[in-house]
Amino acid sequence: MSTRPSPLPFFHRAILRSVQHIVPVTERDDFLRSWQAELWHMLHCVPRRRLNVVRLHIDLPLGVVSDALWLRTHSLRRILAGTPALCIASLLALSLLSFVLAVLSYGGRHALGLYLSRQAEHSLVAVPILLFVSYAIASFSHIELNSIPHTLRWINHLLFSALKTSLALLLTFLLSVCIARPLYIPLPRAADLLQILFFVIFALFAVRWSFHDQEQRCKHCLCSLATPARVGRPSHNLLEWTGTEQTCKQGHGRLSIPEIETSWHQYSRWIDQTSSFDHLSRA
Amino acid sequence: MGLLRLSHSAALILKAISLGYCFGFDVMEITGLPSGTVYPALRRLERDELVESRWESEEDAFSNQRPARRYYQLTREGKAAALAATERYPLLARLLPEKHS
Repeated sequence: MSTRPSPLPFFHRAILRSVQHIVPVTERDDFLRSWQAELWHMLHCVPRRRLNVVRLHIDLPLGVVSDALWLRTHSLRRILAGTPALCIASLLALSLLSFVLAVLSYGGRHALGLYLSRQAEHSLVAVPILLFVSYAIASFSHIELNSIPHTLRWINHLLFSALKTSLALLLTFLLSVCIARPLYIPLPRAADLLQILFFVIFALFAVRWSFHDQEQRCKHCLCSLATPARVGRPSHNLLEWTGTEQTCKQGHGRLSIPEIETSWHQYSRWIDQTSSFDHLSRA
Repeated sequence: MGLLRLSHSAALILKAISLGYCFGFDVMEITGLPSGTVYPALRRLERDELVESRWESEEDAFSNQRPARRYYQLTREGKAAALAATERYPLLARLLPEKHS
């Protein structure tokens, strides 16, 4: 005659009950079941002499917490990876970090404010020129769209691009300010000029990255395109189409980028699959 | 490529599973790694499809008067990775004894 297994002690039950809220709802039952089994095994099957107090009351609860945290971060990574929200949040976080570094290196917000009011003017003059130069020299690959984008989607696209570029410029400005700071002691006259020079160099890279990143995003949901796959053989360049295909993780479409531009496939091509996707989901 | 990214702890855990230590606490005890390392590493290995887990049947567990356990076993890729890890870290084979059931 078999009986139900005895329950866990209050301490372990309390830990599981409080930590379970960290775990995503879909994985909570599995998490609780795994840990109940593990803890039960430790408490009932392992000889007492092999279980010391530190392991039982500190190490194991730490294991429960780190396992729950891993599940939560993994789930967030799965949900947020490549999304425009993550891109903007990362740029904001980096800008904030650079601002804190700048405040620390200048010895306070007031001193930094005085310096910025002088330097920001010169840097602001450089921004339109920078944008113009970056746009002019960017190696844009023209993308053919096989459907006309929805107006709202097009506005979203522009807004995201503008916000991303502005944050990238702010970040590069703050970084140039931080880097120029130690140069004030050995080169007091040239430091201001060097700061603008650093800003221009960093900003050129940042704006180019911003343009390139925009190209590599889904034209529908603005998520980064993934799973690049090479198509065709490079040695058959003139006989068949060769290039790379990237797809949207949500299944909105795929971007077909030719290896070399040929008369029959001159531009990158965005192949929208939303209509077939909708059709499938309806079916 | 994937094998090169295997950390020393992950290799140790993989080796332990290949030797028959098939549930969390067993692995933790034989490797001497803290629980905060073992359980997330098992999840990562499962995500990377090097190990797979299955639940013990409720009947078996109930007849032994204990909750059902989650057992881990190596996949085909996991076996190859464990073999490669043993070649890369020869000490692994000497560190862990085979499990006697």
